[in-house]
Amino acid sequence: MEALRARGLTKAFRVKRKDQGLGGSLRSWLRPEWEEKIAVANIDLDVGRGETVAFLGPNGAGKSTTIKMLTGILHPSSGEATVVGFTPWRERAKLAYRIGTVFGQKSQLWYHLPPLDTFELIGRIYEMKRDDYAKRREDLIERFELGPYLRTPVRKLSLGERMRCEIAASLLHRPELLFLDEPTIGLDVVVKQRIRELIRERNRSEETTVFLTSHDAGDVEELCSRVLVIHHGGLLLDEPVERIKRDVLSRKTITITLAAEVSPEELPCVQGTENVAVAGRQVRLEVDLRRAGVEEVLSGFIGRFGIEDLTVEDPPMEEIIKHIYGER
Amino acid sequence: MDRTMGDSSRTEAGKAVAIWGAGAAAFAKSAAVARITLRQMMFYKTDFLLRCAFLLMILYVFSQLWSAAYGGGETGSVAGFTLKQLLWYLVFTEALTLAAPPICSRIEQEVKNGDVAMRLVRPISYVLYHYASFLAEAALRFAIHLLAGSLVVWPIVGAPNFGYGWAALLSLSLGALTVTFLMAAAIGLCAFWIEETRGLEFVLQKLQFTLGGMLLPIDLMPDWLQRICAWLPFRAAMYLPARAAVHSGGDHLLRDLGVQAVWLAVLGAIVAVIFRRGAVKLHVNGG
Repeated sequence: MEALRARGLTKAFRVKRKDQGLGGSLRSWLRPEWEEKIAVANIDLDVGRGETVAFLGPNGAGKSTTIKMLTGILHPSSGEATVVGFTPWRERAKLAYRIGTVFGQKSQLWYHLPPLDTFELIGRIYEMKRDDYAKRREDLIERFELGPYLRTPVRKLSLGERMRCEIAASLLHRPELLFLDEPTIGLDVVVKQRIRELIRERNRSEETTVFLTSHDAGDVEELCSRVLVIHHGGLLLDEPVERIKRDVLSRKTITITLAAEVSPEELPCVQGTENVAVAGRQVRLEVDLRRAGVEEVLSGFIGRFGIEDLTVEDPPMEEIIKHIYGER
Repeated sequence: MDRTMGDSSRTEAGKAVAIWGAGAAAFAKSAAVARITLRQMMFYKTDFLLRCAFLLMILYVFSQLWSAAYGGGETGSVAGFTLKQLLWYLVFTEALTLAAPPICSRIEQEVKNGDVAMRLVRPISYVLYHYASFLAEAALRFAIHLLAGSLVVWPIVGAPNFGYGWAALLSLSLGALTVTFLMAAAIGLCAFWIEETRGLEFVLQKLQFTLGGMLLPIDLMPDWLQRICAWLPFRAAMYLPARAAVHSGGDHLLRDLGVQAVWLAVLGAIVAVIFRRGAVKLHVNGG
């Protein structure tokens, strides 16, 4: 069963061209020149129910515009889409009951009031039955550990506390599909981790489909099973997270802890290894798997040095994305 | 045959129930928006105080001016208004004018900073949401402004013993504020197309102040201007409730309510069309 399907989704809009300075402003006022900007070009998307999909791309690639079309806020210039069975821009109100949205840079909570007031408003707006609302609210308050902040005005909350409230507010009406636009922006590592756990848990326990945009590789690696990459408005890549890590960027970072300290000159020279760094007994190096195997690298060490510990890691997602852009 | 009729009447009944249900749901949602708006308003005490101070100042100046114009006599009447009626008329129009929140700039701001997206993903109409919030804010302010205005005018011309006039004021004020909302919303929604609506808002406000009868009852205007005003919506937003309040007879109440109803229908249709077209044109800033 599909949660989301889009075919040829395109959004173009007109922007007024303005030259520099007062003269430029005057000219554009008297004789406006428009140029057409394509924000999203001909995108096809398929997301199954219960899937967690990352929608990535650099700034201005068209991520937010796509999300806004899929939630019914924007009308596309052409193309079609079905989100949980509805055409978003034609059936926006009906769709609203079935989806949840979190825009990391916008707040849905009332600034001067405690989060509880916004929860109450949302309960009413989504026409939740009173006992169901109360039960659901208590459940989310417990899971998201919101108890201590419920009666604090939103303006006094830290960004992390506020974001937990924002996500809980978006989940109140049990959306089948959750759109998250930069949910961890500006948060510290610990809070990011907690937010990811909470989203992952909702995905598992309620099969909430997650469609996420993020600049944070961690969000993608830890939350998502599939990655869609968009660039210049078009879809560049659609692959499982694991495959991207394996195929697109065939690099591993190997960290070896040796039994004794070693100087860089003593290390074996294996073709395909780069960025070798030695710190005391620890040696860290990157290996390009197309040029050398992990085994080959390790064989240079085994027998010559005592090895105490060894880890082989995937590179961070930022590197992967950078690499994808570089390659295509 | 019977069965078909039975089915069709059942469908009719079903439709009626569905419409009733949708109406009740929309009302419950609006009430929730109104409640949270009132709660949030409690944090803007300075705004309340400033508006009240401004109201007191304006009313004081006008009461001095009109007292001089009437020659201090409280029995004389100009175009059917005694000094007492005129000053209380001004309290009512000023209370209504200053009660209306700046809905036009709010919509424009929401379009500019992209907050409009947050509103559009909710299962409540964008216009209804703003209307509920507008009305809650306006109603509270209107009540406070009436009290504040009374402080100035009561000692000068005496108690507002207008009897049924109060009932007329209250019943026409709801329509008046709604007309004000719809006019401002129509301009504000133009922000879906054009970047700046301030110019249009400025013109609208000034037309309301003059042709709406805020500073001067329309009866005191030249005949030709009165005839123009009769065809414009501005009088329904201020003049009608304030005039009905001070002319306690209540004989024109039904007619006034009728005039408001017509304008509500016309402006409501205009706002609906603008919103529907604007939603297609909308480009949300930021991202």
